[in-house]
Amino acid sequence: MKKNSHDIDSELIKKAKQGNHGAFNILTSKYYPRVYASIFSFIKSREDSEDLSQQTFIKVWQQLDSFRGDSAFFTWVYRIAINLAKNFVTSSGFKKQKINTSIEDTEIDISSFNDIESTVIHDESLEEINDYIDTLPESLKTAFVLREVEGKSYEDIAIITQTPIGTVRSRIFRARESIVEFIEKEIISNE
Amino acid sequence: MNNIKEKISAMYDGELNSSEVDELIEVLNQNKDMQKQLSLYSLINVAANHHSNELNPIESNKKSFKEIFSNIWFSNGLTAAATLLITLTFINYSDFSRLNENIDSTNQISDAINSKEAQLIAQRSEEYITDHVMKVLNDPSYMNTSNRIDLRNVGFNVNSKDGYSYIKGNEKFQLRIENKDFGLKNIRYWKHGNKMIYLVPLDNGKVVTLYGNISISSAREIAKSLNK
Repeated sequence: MKKNSHDIDSELIKKAKQGNHGAFNILTSKYYPRVYASIFSFIKSREDSEDLSQQTFIKVWQQLDSFRGDSAFFTWVYRIAINLAKNFVTSSGFKKQKINTSIEDTEIDISSFNDIESTVIHDESLEEINDYIDTLPESLKTAFVLREVEGKSYEDIAIITQTPIGTVRSRIFRARESIVEFIEKEIISNE
Repeated sequence: MNNIKEKISAMYDGELNSSEVDELIEVLNQNKDMQKQLSLYSLINVAANHHSNELNPIESNKKSFKEIFSNIWFSNGLTAAATLLITLTFINYSDFSRLNENIDSTNQISDAINSKEAQLIAQRSEEYITDHVMKVLNDPSYMNTSNRIDLRNVGFNVNSKDGYSYIKGNEKFQLRIENKDFGLKNIRYWKHGNKMIYLVPLDNGKVVTLYGNISISSAREIAKSLNK
């Protein structure tokens, strides 16, 4: 039986609630870039976005028991992130303010998550990645865009492109790998 | 190694079989490089949706439309501050150029945003809307409700394929009714990718959310119809 993204998140949340740090790290890996990007989109400061993103996941960890699953996990995380960012903006009058919570005070290690996001998530790099996506072979690009931009399921993509589901899965993976390679070679190494 | 990475890719998409999930969680638990791989896939998602993720309030140039739809750009006072705060949440706090305001007005708005009163108003009245809009965008099941309104008088029928969306030609949207008014007095609307979100306050104190590929003129028709 196939598990969708919500099922997988639920399983990870359940394990994390039981104290499984590894499960929480997987959730953090999955959602950290989106949280960072959301915060950066209106804070426009790498350093503050890093601080607020870390703060977000510290809060998520601390408040995980209160997550009842009424909404999607990311919606809940996003709300925490936005509230933190909103408080940051309004309380400082848009002036720089250091975040107080110390990472050392918590039981989880999220200090390593900032390196890539702070390098990649700004307009110029995101445009470069988008330009690279346009150069992908047509079959990879079609599967990738249908999944990432249109949000289609593998089954729908298989029907649309008239290819087996296994091929769809493989094409999306190959597209991602190609983009990862581009990011590592052309963006991270040039920073 | 590629086999594991392909499974991570499928897991990220929620397309993994149950038997594979537990195994992969164990692998990810023990391997930071593979966690980084998952993070990179998420980052690629951010890049691929770089433009469509911008949630933009829209300013209409059509006078007739403005008479019916009060957009979120109000000209003065705390209402502007309260409204602006949520807007900036989605865009960019420094992007005052979108307001087409002169510098004096901008300063007034900026002062209003930073006043304690404005912050309180914003926090109270806008957080509900922020939460609601984020749920609409992030939780596919949120708009899939049993609420039904007869919209045949404006040409929309319930989509027989899914039973919950409304269609007319190329237009298709979902509808949800809230038993609270969010403090809304006028219709508010945003663009997200190629879809629109409209919050329509009704005379009976409820709010209807329309989300999908629906034109401004159709939304206006529906708003009129619902408030008759």
